[in-house]
Amino acid sequence: MFGLGGVRGRLTATVVALVVVTALVLGVGAYAFVDYSLHDRLVRDAEAQARFDLTVLIPNRLPNPTQQTLDDSGLERAFRERGVLLIADFGDLVEPFRSIRSPELQAAVAAGRLGFQWTNLPEPVLIIGGRLPGTEAALYFLHDAKPLEDALTQLRLGLGGGALLLALIALLIARRVARGVLAPVDVAARTAERIERGDLSARVPVASRDEFGNWAERFNRMAAALEETIRRLEASQAQNRRFVADVSHELRTPLTALVAEASILREHLGALPPDARRTGELLVADVARLRTLVEELMELSRFDSAAEQAAREPIDLVRLVRTVAAARLPDAKLVVSEEPVVVSTDPRRIERILGNLLDNAREHAPNAPVEIRLRFLPDEVVLSVADAGPGVPSDRLQRIFDRFYKADPSRQAGSSGLGLAIAAENAALVGGRLEAANQPEGGLRFDLRLPVTEPLPGGDPAATVGPDRGPRSTA
Amino acid sequence: MDARILLVEDDPSIREVTGIGLRNAGFEVTTAADGLEAVERFRAEPFDLLLLDVMLPRLDGLEVCRTVRRTSTVPIVMLTARGDTLDVVVGLEAGADDYVKKPFEVPELVARVRAALRRAGRLPDDGDRLHLGPLSIDIGGRTVEREGEEIPLTRTEFDLLAELTRHAGQVLTRDVLLDRIWGYDYLGDSRLVDVAIQRLRAKVEPDAANPTLVLTVRGAGYKAAR
Repeated sequence: MFGLGGVRGRLTATVVALVVVTALVLGVGAYAFVDYSLHDRLVRDAEAQARFDLTVLIPNRLPNPTQQTLDDSGLERAFRERGVLLIADFGDLVEPFRSIRSPELQAAVAAGRLGFQWTNLPEPVLIIGGRLPGTEAALYFLHDAKPLEDALTQLRLGLGGGALLLALIALLIARRVARGVLAPVDVAARTAERIERGDLSARVPVASRDEFGNWAERFNRMAAALEETIRRLEASQAQNRRFVADVSHELRTPLTALVAEASILREHLGALPPDARRTGELLVADVARLRTLVEELMELSRFDSAAEQAAREPIDLVRLVRTVAAARLPDAKLVVSEEPVVVSTDPRRIERILGNLLDNAREHAPNAPVEIRLRFLPDEVVLSVADAGPGVPSDRLQRIFDRFYKADPSRQAGSSGLGLAIAAENAALVGGRLEAANQPEGGLRFDLRLPVTEPLPGGDPAATVGPDRGPRSTA
Repeated sequence: MDARILLVEDDPSIREVTGIGLRNAGFEVTTAADGLEAVERFRAEPFDLLLLDVMLPRLDGLEVCRTVRRTSTVPIVMLTARGDTLDVVVGLEAGADDYVKKPFEVPELVARVRAALRRAGRLPDDGDRLHLGPLSIDIGGRTVEREGEEIPLTRTEFDLLAELTRHAGQVLTRDVLLDRIWGYDYLGDSRLVDVAIQRLRAKVEPDAANPTLVLTVRGAGYKAAR
């Protein structure tokens, strides 16, 4: 997965390099030792033989050594049968042997000692040279060193092949070991991935008593602490939500009484003395405010407990938008097609979203024109509500859908601060998305994006055909 | 107008203020605080309309509704704590004609009560007989027969069938139906229509899954086959 750059690759390379270096050092040392021993031994043997030949054998056979007597004696043939080439120097040494002799050999022979020389003719040859005692004649014994060199070549090949084999074995073992050593890291990586995906119960198996085992234990302790903390947070959040749901539910009965009472009181406000009338008016208005707040809280707590479900039916968005706008904000400017635009979605949710957006526009940009626009994009329908108000500072734009978030705390008489949060929840419920942005020309714009997936099957063509694309369905 | 209303509600404050509101509107109101008491009162004396809370001690509102429906066609309006589709469906299944979501304003409740009473007291239009496929609809007698066999329909279901049949082939939107059948003169809950249509189909269609008499017009509303 990480190639040579990874820990596993580096570990493997290090082990292989170590094995190769060790094999090379041992191999080269052994070779050098064997090489030296064999050459030295050959030289000693050849010298001992030459000493015997020069002092005993040849003087016996050739009491009067000349080239002629040597040729006649058959000694050369006898030597050749021993694998030794005999060259005599009676002061008449011929080329090329004359120039092959090394100065050291010549000097040794001239001084009456035995000398030796390694050379290639081109076969490897050991030359032993010495003077016949009591004469000026020198004899050179040329020993064939090829078997020796062949053996050494064999040894070199053997050692080289062995080193290669060793390196290969080292590579295999090192990889296996590296994998084994690093297996806990892989396991840990997979475990971390599972935790990341939300499986908080994922743990690393503690398989050994070594550093990895120790580390795994610590990892698990951390994961357990994390899980505990998150579970506690979730529990407290669930508790909070239950509390909100319970509170708003408990509030409903007295609220029902209050709303009914206020609606009757409102009818009789005119009959009250001025002070009481004003108080009564405030009471009626505040009951309405309380009602909105409690109902919105209940709605949100139903979203939190996933109790809300979206219906799905073919809806003409143009007609729906016109109806909602006429009821909630008749002054709004409508930019919608004349033809029906039919999508499959939950009309009550769309009505809720659009209604809340219109309420929001009316509240934050009072008396400013509001424009409602319905657009078809390749795979979505966008319902926009734009006001010509002051907009919202961009750093607060992100939080505008938060519950009880008030972008402008100074101007909060009527709204609960839950309207946009509810709109966003409803948008998510019908598979859409609600976005807010400041317009370049000023004012705040909300886009409700409803994805359009497959065309609607069947239906009455007259009622379902969209402006140019035919019936659509939103996901 | 002195229609007699039985108001069944367990919370004393809501019961009292609702009673005040209804009496102010000219109704004669009797109250009951739980389901059993409601059934007893209903048996003891006649009422023109039942206003019934869903959550009641001893015997819940849906059970009261079913019990009353066995012997009476009196209009029943449910007071539900939640406006969930499930609640609406269950309420209508139990035989309720309409529902009012809590919290409610008294004038709104009064309007709904009046609409329900108006429908119940609606005089037969005439003695006509309408036909829809194999169905024979007796407007005067408020009965529906298929091949000589009477199909029992609730008041709402009958009105819905008669209205659609009168305008056979013409699409009636949910809003129009809400207005004409339930007497809603504002944006009402269109699920009321959908649920009632489903119940009607289950009774009159040969195969309710593939309706041939009461048809859905996508994105618009419903119509009766011509």
